[in-house]
Amino acid sequence: MFLALTEMRRAKVRFGLLSGAVGLLVFLILFQQALSTGLINQFIGALRNQSADVLVFNAQARKNLEGSIVLPAQQAAVAQVPGVAEATPLGEGTFTVLAGVDGAAEEQDAVIFGYQLDGPGAPTTLVEGRLPEATGEAVASSRNADEGFGIGDTVTVVPNAGGAEVVFTVVGLAEEINYSVSPTLFTDFAGFEAAKRAVNPDATAVLPSVMAVRVADGADPEEVAAAITAAVEGTEALTRRQAVDGSPGVSAVRQSFSVVLLLFYLVVPLVTGLFFLIVTFQKAGALTLLRAIGSPAGLLVRSLLLQVVVVVLTGSVLAVGLFWLASRGGGGLDISVESGPVLFTVTLVLVLALLTSLAAVRRVLRIDPIAATTGAGVQVG
Amino acid sequence: MSSNPAPSGAPLRLEAVRKVYRSGDSEIVAVDHATLTVADGEIVALLGPSGSGKTTLLSIAGGLLTSTEGRVVVGGQDITDRSPRELTEFRRTTVGFVFQSVNLVPFLTAEENLLVVAELSGRSGMSRRDARQRAKELLDELGLGHRAGNLPSQLSGGERQRVAIGRALFNRPALVLFDEPTSALDTKIGEQVMELIQNEMRSRGTAAVIVTHDTRMTHYADRTVRIVDGVLSDDPVAAGHP
Amino acid sequence: MSLAVTELRRRPGRFAVATVVLTFLSLLLLLLGGLLDGLFLGSTGAIRAQRADVIVYSDTARDSFLRSRLTTEVRRQVEQVDGVEAVGGLGFSLLGATVPGETDLADVAVAGYELPPSGVPDPPSAGHAWADERLREAGVSIGDTLAVGPAGTPITIDGWVEDTNYLQQGALWVTLDTWREVQNANRPDAFVAPDVVQVFVVRGAGGDGLAAAIDAATGSTSTLTRDDAVFALPGVSEQQSTFNAIIFSTLAVVLAVVALFFSLLTLERTGLYGVLKAIGASTRRLFAGVVIQAVTVAVIAFVIGGVLAFVGDALLPGDIPLQLTPGRYVFTFVALVVAAVLGSAISLRRVTRIDPASAIGSAA
Repeated sequence: MFLALTEMRRAKVRFGLLSGAVGLLVFLILFQQALSTGLINQFIGALRNQSADVLVFNAQARKNLEGSIVLPAQQAAVAQVPGVAEATPLGEGTFTVLAGVDGAAEEQDAVIFGYQLDGPGAPTTLVEGRLPEATGEAVASSRNADEGFGIGDTVTVVPNAGGAEVVFTVVGLAEEINYSVSPTLFTDFAGFEAAKRAVNPDATAVLPSVMAVRVADGADPEEVAAAITAAVEGTEALTRRQAVDGSPGVSAVRQSFSVVLLLFYLVVPLVTGLFFLIVTFQKAGALTLLRAIGSPAGLLVRSLLLQVVVVVLTGSVLAVGLFWLASRGGGGLDISVESGPVLFTVTLVLVLALLTSLAAVRRVLRIDPIAATTGAGVQVG
Repeated sequence: MSSNPAPSGAPLRLEAVRKVYRSGDSEIVAVDHATLTVADGEIVALLGPSGSGKTTLLSIAGGLLTSTEGRVVVGGQDITDRSPRELTEFRRTTVGFVFQSVNLVPFLTAEENLLVVAELSGRSGMSRRDARQRAKELLDELGLGHRAGNLPSQLSGGERQRVAIGRALFNRPALVLFDEPTSALDTKIGEQVMELIQNEMRSRGTAAVIVTHDTRMTHYADRTVRIVDGVLSDDPVAAGHP
Repeated sequence: MSLAVTELRRRPGRFAVATVVLTFLSLLLLLLGGLLDGLFLGSTGAIRAQRADVIVYSDTARDSFLRSRLTTEVRRQVEQVDGVEAVGGLGFSLLGATVPGETDLADVAVAGYELPPSGVPDPPSAGHAWADERLREAGVSIGDTLAVGPAGTPITIDGWVEDTNYLQQGALWVTLDTWREVQNANRPDAFVAPDVVQVFVVRGAGGDGLAAAIDAATGSTSTLTRDDAVFALPGVSEQQSTFNAIIFSTLAVVLAVVALFFSLLTLERTGLYGVLKAIGASTRRLFAGVVIQAVTVAVIAFVIGGVLAFVGDALLPGDIPLQLTPGRYVFTFVALVVAAVLGSAISLRRVTRIDPASAIGSAA
């Protein structure tokens, strides 16, 4: 132990650079993981954390809530499909709203979901307050509670010329129910309809974006979804999970990030493995000497592995620090430091780094103490 | 002969050279008022035990270290007060070095190790063709013509030292400095190398200073100078020619 | 110099791992940059192509095209502002479209326009469109009639235009009337009355001053320069800052890797550098050798990484918005070379400190 740590103290720049590189890489991995889950959650958290088992889209919408409307004939037909216990309208739209704290209300974007209060489509992650019980009440995304979407705050939909003002009062907060990275409200369908008419006074009809379906007890949502798609012309029914994964952009974001992350995971062990291999070659002479004066090979290997662990852990501490700073800095997207993913990443990086340092270990084990007497072991390179 | 005459003045003149190392409050005198003149074509052995100051004296003569006091003149050039940059230039053009062991560039062939000297001189040096020609000639003279394309790792210890001698002679220096040229070799090879050094220096009329601690090597020199605790004294036993 | 190059040639093995690491890193830089460019270009083409100085939104729209509505009355007010030379209406509908012979729907952005953006001809006849090249991937060909939206409004493709997409959807450039027809048939909840458009593109003189003058004259608009309008598109500025943060952190890793690797190499060469300095090599020459090696390794890594990125682009599924532009290659190349030079600079101190006198009197 003494040997390993003394060497690191003497070669501060080298080990510092290595730890810095590992730290940056681990930070980038953490940052991008958080970014991809954070992005995905903020884009489609509302879909993930609502109670409908199946969502019925217009087939033309390509699984995009924003582009979907369900026509009256389709609405009626969905309810008739076997396995559907309940099918109710769910509307979604982005609005300009007036919201703010302490009377300093300002215009901002908000997404409003309208669902039938006693039906499926209600938020499932309520953390404070209660669900809406009447038109004009809403549950807001907890992330935006401090921005004028706290319990008791009022949110006003800004009408276009000819429309009437619509006001919602926040009565509850739910976690991770954002949509399109905007503050999000869940209210009753009538409230959603009123909001739509406020901004589009010319609108001839307000149609639901999707149908929210609760499946009959014991029915498999996937099968019910397939049955709806087959039975109702022009619709595409998706289970909650399929709707989340199939949301436009989500799968592309996920795939892009996974390619990038895989590469980062490859780079970390390569850098550490390379470093320790070179360092081991460079000090082959000293190691031979140590073997000659009686250090067991195991001790030398242990001190090498200890250095790997110290470097990875130092780097990880640095990475978590950077990550914490980044999570506070924001940059438009708030990411949160969660111990689970951090621990997983650090462990994985540590294991990979130890595996690649086996090349250096092999070099240590090959050292022949006899070489010290002939001088051959002192030859470098 | 292809060798050119040494520039005017003795190849090496040290006048009352003193070198003092300071470490904290104490002073260590490595070389004390050393005066030494090496004549044209003369081979001088500098003999002393380790720590005697012989390495320091050699380094001062070669422009690797500057003296604390005294004057150093090499090949007619006074290098006493030169800047490190000027000394680099001086070493490149005026003296040749042969070191103990780490000596050759491991990834270059014997011939290329000689050409390094030309490369270091850049445009001020000879043309590429002339440089190759010169390297070939030197290797042939040193009996290494057939080894020109070999890497140092493929050469024996004696051959490596011969390549190093070729490199030292490449720029036709006024003075060649040898630092324990045989210490890494066994006695027989060491003697062969010394003989070669003697022949090469004589045939070119180039002066040399050979640092050694091995008295057996001194009879290859024209003169032996002893150094003990930084003080020079002529060897009472004149080194004869073999 | 040639000493450094010769070492690279004779001992490629010792540079191999560094080259592999830097290859991965250049591949990462290119992929990240390509994603950023793909997202940016695919989202903003329709706006960047506008030959307009400013874009006028209704003031309640919060700079969103889809929520903006402007009437002919506002248009008259804008036209009377000093410096305004031409005003054109613009409107977008994001919809799915059925392509003849294809089972999958194509994502389209139906764009109604009056003033042609660069590269787009004058508006086609009613029911016809100039389509963006991106729609080729969805199986669209010239002469096809697409059924747009749930209502299946027919639109016939007359020709191709380039780099005009909107929010990752392939643009179909149509007349304003055709756009209104598509919008009203498919989005009755977002009805557009006759003569109403989403925004005006305005050509004129005055830039920022023009925008302020227009807003002052109408009292009901919010006007942005074209460049500001590009960054006002949802997500665009966030994407830029996030991806750039990742790209620059990755460059910092490149710098650290180069610094680490070459400081180790320099350490290993201490003895050799001592000898070379003794026989007259200057610090500058030796350090230049280190820099040349670092840059060479970075360039080789860039070339391999570039080829891999090119191949990867072809292999990755089409819905990943990866777009490798020559500009991105140039940026990555320059950034890698700069990082290599800076990274190798850390070895300068060590090279400088090597004492030529160390070559004498030492056996190792």
